[in-house]
Amino acid sequence: MNAITLTVNGRRVSAQVEPRTQLADFLREELNLTGTHLGCEQGVCGACTVLIDGKPQRSCIASAAACDGADIRTIEGFDGDVVMGELREAFSANHALQCGFCTPGMLMSSRDIVTRLGACSERTIREELSGNLCRCTGYVGIVNAVHSVACGKTARGGAVAVAPVEAVAEVAPAPSASASPSLALARSVAEGAAAPAGKEGWTALSQRVHIPAPPAQVWPALKDMNLLARCLPGAEVTAFDGKALQGRMVVKFGPIKAAFGGDATVDFDDAAQTGTVSGAGRDSGSGSQVKGEIAFALAPEGEGSALDVTLRYRIAGPLAQFSRGALVQNLVGHLAGVFAGNLSAQLSGAPMAEAPASLSVWQMLKAMLKGWFAGRKS
Amino acid sequence: MKPAAYDLTLATSLPDAVAALGAHEGAKAVSGGCSLGPMLNLRLARPSLLVDLRRVEALRALKRSDTHLEIGAGWTHGEIEDGVVPDVTAGLMARVAHGIAYRAVRNRGTIGGSLAHADPAADWVSTMAVLDARLVITGAGGTRLSRLGDFMIAAYTTSLADDEILSAVQVPVLSATARAGYHKVCRKTGEFAQAIGAVVLDREAGLARVVCGAIEAPPVVLEATSAALLKGEPVERVADEEVEAALAGHPASFRAMHRAAVARALNEVGA
Repeated sequence: MNAITLTVNGRRVSAQVEPRTQLADFLREELNLTGTHLGCEQGVCGACTVLIDGKPQRSCIASAAACDGADIRTIEGFDGDVVMGELREAFSANHALQCGFCTPGMLMSSRDIVTRLGACSERTIREELSGNLCRCTGYVGIVNAVHSVACGKTARGGAVAVAPVEAVAEVAPAPSASASPSLALARSVAEGAAAPAGKEGWTALSQRVHIPAPPAQVWPALKDMNLLARCLPGAEVTAFDGKALQGRMVVKFGPIKAAFGGDATVDFDDAAQTGTVSGAGRDSGSGSQVKGEIAFALAPEGEGSALDVTLRYRIAGPLAQFSRGALVQNLVGHLAGVFAGNLSAQLSGAPMAEAPASLSVWQMLKAMLKGWFAGRKS
Repeated sequence: MKPAAYDLTLATSLPDAVAALGAHEGAKAVSGGCSLGPMLNLRLARPSLLVDLRRVEALRALKRSDTHLEIGAGWTHGEIEDGVVPDVTAGLMARVAHGIAYRAVRNRGTIGGSLAHADPAADWVSTMAVLDARLVITGAGGTRLSRLGDFMIAAYTTSLADDEILSAVQVPVLSATARAGYHKVCRKTGEFAQAIGAVVLDREAGLARVVCGAIEAPPVVLEATSAALLKGEPVERVADEEVEAALAGHPASFRAMHRAAVARALNEVGA
């Protein structure tokens, strides 16, 4: 629990709050200020907009504890406010609300538009109101109401620029982005083709890597699961009997961290020099599940070998709610590239730093680059 | 829909914040929380400790040299939009800031937080790339500088170590005659961009850069287009070809949106 003191609608409030309590919940549940509404709880709908230190902000994604010392003004705090009074009248006259759920947030943003911008065009009002969703009026009444109040008003004095401190910024030449062959490997191409039968909703990534060693030398190494796991950042094999595999995989994706534990079945075709690893795992933190399949095929290419790797995966459960699947694909493609680079380094005899499972992708990438260049020089 | 429990430290200095991040497994720095907040509410992110940076004065510094303006990471999009942070980029940064999400988000979200989050569709990511800005990164051992292209490795993935903080950005002071173009494709105002084209042309300084962003991966600098732009050569075809090559493997509609965003940004600087 964190101790906080806020000023809410002019009144000092002290309380103990859990850090995870968002400001909107604190206002509604602890202070009974239920005029602040919660819609999407992800900063999109605008129903929870309140003034924090005089500026409209989302109270659903602002921790109450992080607002310690702040001045908060909710929709209940505008009884004597002239502009808010005019807006209330105008909303009523223009039929700018039906169910009223969005109205507290609409009024909060509308007051900001009128005071900050003064008289402005319908287009500007629509743009400025785009962060407040209404699902019944169609916005025409709301825009008309704001327009009628804004007409004739002057904008609040322009913002004053802060004078920078005159100082010689220490601009040292940053290392330039050298296009290394290893980094190029990280660029993967998503398969545009239709998913195979029974694999609807799966994401597929393909990658081809050249290994400067003949297939006869590469193939036995490919069957070494511990070696393969060392090439994949975050992966760890806990048991393997030649067919059944148990392991863990820690994936860090920005603020999202998942630790999948699971089982897989490994099949090799020695004659064709192809193989598959298919398995499923579960992240104990979020309860999300992942199913995946790695298919690989080895073939001679010039003096060395070409390894084609196709990865298919599907995520279910809470992590699948993350609606930006293409970004997950970019991370998986990046990991596949790191894996391919590491594998290539391993098989060409270059040294690779022993990597604990928690090693970050970046450290891994650096280790991999070192391996690459060491391999090239020898 | 509430976040999983976490501890919260309100840091008051950079060394405090760096120490707190280094001392706790699963700690995460937060400033405005406009990207992290939704992930916490959805329980996609489950940090053990949040280190709040809003009270760190050093992150609100503004330093100016002849060639660069160093903007502390804690300045909000709204303050950049309003010109509280002076503009040295031919109006580019104020304009970009105005187009980020919504005013209530811009009043809380910070430039440093957005960059550290490293969402490929975020405006500052493409903007720092086109300005060839330096990101100032502070850790226990001191400060290092990085270009956006070296800092951002993949979607949501950066070179920041667990106990490092993106503390400022150094943006170049452009000439009075410099021009900037920026176009983003969104289905609705304030949404994440589906495509971004960004251009800076400063003939006095001999600088021309063209960037194709919001590509679900770090943005790409279109080198051939940039070179043609600086020479005053026609850029339309070379830009189209470069975008096509950079986005090979993406659907045709995705490539078309990015070609259009880059073409419109180029059009704004008269190319």
